Amino acid sequence: MELFRKTLDPVIALSAIAVLDIFLFLIVGAWTVGGGETMMTGLIAQFFLGDTIDRIPFWHEVFKPDAGYWKIYISLGMLFGAIVGAVASKEFFWRFPKRLSEWVMITVGGLLMGIGIRLAFVCNVSTFFGLTPELNLGGYLAISGILAGAWFGSLIYKRVLEGG
Amino acid sequence: MSALAECLVAFVFGSVVGLLVQRSRFCNTAALRDAMLFKTFRNTKALLVAMMILTIGFTAFISIGAGNPMRFDVGVNQILGLFLFGTGMVLAGACTVSTWVKAGEGNFGAIWALIFTFVGMFLFSLIWSYIYWPPAPSAMTGELSVERLQFGFSNAETLQEKTGIPAIFFGIIQAAVLYGLYRAIKRREAASAATS
Repeated sequence: MELFRKTLDPVIALSAIAVLDIFLFLIVGAWTVGGGETMMTGLIAQFFLGDTIDRIPFWHEVFKPDAGYWKIYISLGMLFGAIVGAVASKEFFWRFPKRLSEWVMITVGGLLMGIGIRLAFVCNVSTFFGLTPELNLGGYLAISGILAGAWFGSLIYKRVLEGG
Repeated sequence: MSALAECLVAFVFGSVVGLLVQRSRFCNTAALRDAMLFKTFRNTKALLVAMMILTIGFTAFISIGAGNPMRFDVGVNQILGLFLFGTGMVLAGACTVSTWVKAGEGNFGAIWALIFTFVGMFLFSLIWSYIYWPPAPSAMTGELSVERLQFGFSNAETLQEKTGIPAIFFGIIQAAVLYGLYRAIKRREAASAATS
């Protein structure tokens, strides 16, 4: 199948995703990832901590762990779709970061993404594919933040690349 | 719609997105990082086109009272949070979408980033439980609150209500601005192709 032999033009791929996102917006709400990830965090924490999680106000005042939260299944679907695409195009293989600096950057980067999503109540997906197209003030605030952050991150990234 | 049906719709949507992103190598991190560092715009153009389609689509449906827009107060926390997020995604080399997609390709670095995204979220849940900021949804008022650094709630719906002008009008203006950016990138690419 052609789709699995050649790389798809990202403009075509994102145009198709945008059309589907409009349907999702009409049915349940626009595409988002951070909300589902937060709920997964709550469910994982509940699994390990049991009833102790009830003593952390965030998990009953902001996000009450609920496995039936629809946003979780967007992320799980993305994982499934990516596995199908990678296996069908023979692009699935295990790869690991090679240098210690990569491990450190990924660890710090992951932590900052998690803290940032929860502080902002939004992720990059809801910024670009939800809030801003809804002309929500939060979208413009978030875009100014992510552009400044990406610029700052790029400075660090460049320095590490040059150092490596 | 039942909760089960919502989850099913979300899973089908996510599966198609995962497949298309994997096959196109689209990455939101690259859309910003590559434009800033390397002056290449492959992903930036795709992001702009998607935003144009979404802006027209969302505001058209909002104009007739359809759709499910996000509703919550916004404030300084969106700027600070996405600043941290933007820094983190460049360091991790992946955003929320590409961590899941690269994980599906067997990239352990993406799985590691995902694990620490969860850890970061849990750490913030502990911090929030101490500072109670930004306000929980139940404490949001929709109004400006200087002491809580909140600007309230405003989107295409509220614009339409306040001005009496259909939301699609504002959507067309935003789409035109996005198209202007897209054209500027295309012109820049054409100019650099002509000189090389």
